[in-house]
Amino acid sequence: MDSLKPYVMPLNDVSETDEKVIGGKASKLAKLVGMGYRVPSGFCVTIYAYNHFIETNRLDEMIAFELGRKRFQDMRWEEIWDAALRIRSSFLREKIPAVIRNTIMTSLKKMGSEKPLAVRSSAPKEDTARASFAGLHESYIGVTGMEDLLNSIRLVWASLWSDAALLYQKELGLDPLRSSMAVVVQELVQEDISGVAFGCDPTAPEEDKAIIEAVPGLCQNLVDGTLDPDRWLLRKSTGEMLAFKPGDRGGAEKGTPLLESDDLKLLYRALQGIETLFGWQPDLEWTGRNDRLTLLQARPITTSQAAPKDDKSYYLTLRPNEQNLKKLAQRVSETLIPQLEKEGEKMAAEDLSKLNDRELSEAIETRQDALEKWKKIYWDEFIPFAHGVRRLATYYNDAVRPQDPYEFIGLLRGQAMRSTQRNRKMMELSEVLRSDPSLLELIRDQVFGEKGPPPSWQDVRHQIHALPQGLNFVRGFESLLEEYMDVSYGRARLKDRPELVLKTVVEMAISKEHSVAGDQVTGGQTDVAELEKKLFRAVGQEHIEEAKEVLRIGRMSWRLRDDDNLLLGRIESQLLRAVHVGVELLRSEGRLQREGRVGEKTANIIIAALRNPSQKKVIIPDENGTERKSHHKKRKSVKSRQLIGQPAAPGLATGPVCRVLVPEDFGAFKAGNILVCDAIQPNMTHLVPLAGGIIERRGGMLIHGAIIARELGVPCVNGVPNAVDLLEDGELVTVDGHLGIVTVGEPEFDLERDINKIYLHPKVSDLLK
Amino acid sequence: MNSIDEPIFGPEFGHGGFETSEEPDVEHSIRDLLAHQSFCVLCTQGQSQPYGSLIAFAFTDNLKTFFFTTPLATRKFKLLSECNRIALVIDSRCQHPDDMTKVGAVTVTGKAERLQSGEEFEQGIALLKSRHPYLAHFLESDSTALFKVDVVRYFHVTRFQEVSQWIP
Repeated sequence: MDSLKPYVMPLNDVSETDEKVIGGKASKLAKLVGMGYRVPSGFCVTIYAYNHFIETNRLDEMIAFELGRKRFQDMRWEEIWDAALRIRSSFLREKIPAVIRNTIMTSLKKMGSEKPLAVRSSAPKEDTARASFAGLHESYIGVTGMEDLLNSIRLVWASLWSDAALLYQKELGLDPLRSSMAVVVQELVQEDISGVAFGCDPTAPEEDKAIIEAVPGLCQNLVDGTLDPDRWLLRKSTGEMLAFKPGDRGGAEKGTPLLESDDLKLLYRALQGIETLFGWQPDLEWTGRNDRLTLLQARPITTSQAAPKDDKSYYLTLRPNEQNLKKLAQRVSETLIPQLEKEGEKMAAEDLSKLNDRELSEAIETRQDALEKWKKIYWDEFIPFAHGVRRLATYYNDAVRPQDPYEFIGLLRGQAMRSTQRNRKMMELSEVLRSDPSLLELIRDQVFGEKGPPPSWQDVRHQIHALPQGLNFVRGFESLLEEYMDVSYGRARLKDRPELVLKTVVEMAISKEHSVAGDQVTGGQTDVAELEKKLFRAVGQEHIEEAKEVLRIGRMSWRLRDDDNLLLGRIESQLLRAVHVGVELLRSEGRLQREGRVGEKTANIIIAALRNPSQKKVIIPDENGTERKSHHKKRKSVKSRQLIGQPAAPGLATGPVCRVLVPEDFGAFKAGNILVCDAIQPNMTHLVPLAGGIIERRGGMLIHGAIIARELGVPCVNGVPNAVDLLEDGELVTVDGHLGIVTVGEPEFDLERDINKIYLHPKVSDLLK
Repeated sequence: MNSIDEPIFGPEFGHGGFETSEEPDVEHSIRDLLAHQSFCVLCTQGQSQPYGSLIAFAFTDNLKTFFFTTPLATRKFKLLSECNRIALVIDSRCQHPDDMTKVGAVTVTGKAERLQSGEEFEQGIALLKSRHPYLAHFLESDSTALFKVDVVRYFHVTRFQEVSQWIP
């Protein structure tokens, strides 16, 4: 080890100039020690250690490759999460060089303490006054023993490349070949009271206020939101107490303040002293009272003005901590999903045909409001609940450290969801057709007949009825429509388009490669049990219950995130149904002057018309929705030959492209087609078993389409920007789900051959003659 | 950064719709790459055997024609005389030796034709001279043959595996 580049530095023996080497957090702690504040004893693992670890294992190249394979601005947050997971897995798998290991061990011995440790990130650029990136990097509390410590250091290092940090990569100036991370290792001080203190009110920094908060036990309980703190508002200029709000923690101590006025004075003085020392208003973490007051961390306050609400800050809400995830799981499964289901059922049962104009307008409005309400819940609660699967991913990978960071997906197999029940039902219907060739032939001729527009379901139904198996099939098919097709897709209610659903059932029956959609429910249970055993073995006896809980929530998250889409689709479908009844009514009254395609805005027009009988000429404009044509820009000279995405489900498949953008595409989809779409939605997963391969614009290894494709063994590449735009229907493509590559067309040299025909010039050898 | 886009409901309801990222200008990238590289690999074939040679090249502003020279007594000259269908490979690996994802490359396919006089011949010599002044003596030698390449198409590779075809 180069003595000028130490791997470890004691916190009480660093100078101000060491910030670049020990990072912001460590440097501030060192300054506090210098000022005489009590700070937990410890040392800092410098950026030299990080750099040596990275270089030895060539992780810089791995990170550069991971982040450079696709334009960063084309990466969706789920892809960023995936990249972070892969980086984290690599950090966990690689060895820490012996020289670093030994140095850390020596420092730990020198500390001479058997107490648990706190291991915190200390990146050179974090916590600048301009923007605080608190929470982007990891900290671990209660670390015991050398192995645990080394693991925690690895994870803190890896958190330089965490999903949240990558999201802010521009602001942080992250560069795979230059960025580095130091780590603070300190004794964990366990006092009876801890808290935070702010040099100003972060939401109103200009006001003459300071804030102190306290909880019983560790400060972590406050920071991660486990306990509601007692809160004091002080006059910043004098320290005078302005207000006190007790924390709501239940129990008998409610109302008795955790701190006394002397404690408040001491903390107030610390705030003042630190502001003078550093020149910024501090955000302080502390523990202990009186002469045991220990400062855990000091950083500049991020005011709400400095951190605008944007997509990134929304993203950070998508990573609820364990406590909140648990609460969310309970609320989603026990309250929200049953409510959503009930509301949809109630709407579906309503007979709209008997309503008068006003009642109908109210019914449309009620549905509009319900949809708005549920969309908000969807964004605020259902989407964050998806974190359950990601939490399982991290938990499994930390414990098992598998070569394939997506091995855990096997644990999600076999969850009974609405979509798999629907798919199984469709499969059963296709089996009926396969076993009865005359029935199959009749339906096939009817729905795929080339002459004119397809006949209505009522016509087809009538003819099917006449055949021996017909009645059975009709009953089964109509119950499929009733139970599972009351959802919308691209302005259409699938229930209103039975011919499209029927086409898929026929296609399932005639396709030779008869994958079984229901496999999702029944298959692979042995593998699931194996993976479970592997996980339980890895976590050890004392953590089995914890692992079971993570597994339970992960599976629930996966299952309900599928169901919520379909149930929300029903609310949408029910709004459309009411709008259609309204349109019908206006048409029958002869009040429709022009009728475009029905959509969201139409609802308001219909409501207004129903409430205003004097309006004689109602115009329904054509809404801009998803049109096939608008997404296909012809390029003459430029053509993509190979597209890059995420290898979302392994396998190789070649076939013609079928873009699924509008409801009619459901009916056009043939077995063996390569399904190209923006995103596989739960209301179209019945096409997946028919697909030879899948290409999606929306990327991520854990998104819906990817997991379903994996379960059914359909090769899938997702995260292909502009996939629907760059590929043409019928075009031959090869999906390489191992590498995440889509090859367009065959490797032909037709153009090169043709140019010789065009030029027909003499051979070069002739020119020499 | 793309916005958060969970499974969209019906595209007409709220958050749906397709996001298209800005299409990279393939022609511009190719032009830029050619401008910064002086040499390329010429791929020839003969007797069922592919063959590669490093050559200095020049190109016309419309990117439809390349020029290069070769001594008459070379393997590549012989192969060119047997088959005029060639490929050129140009890349920027020298600028990014440690990051494959930053390397840009093009494979140019086309037809080679020897020029011995005339306007195109003069143009080719002038372009090569201005790009490679140190080759003046070589270019004027009697045993040097000047070839032009009529480009059929470019295969442009970025970020390791993203491939676009461009026809000039």
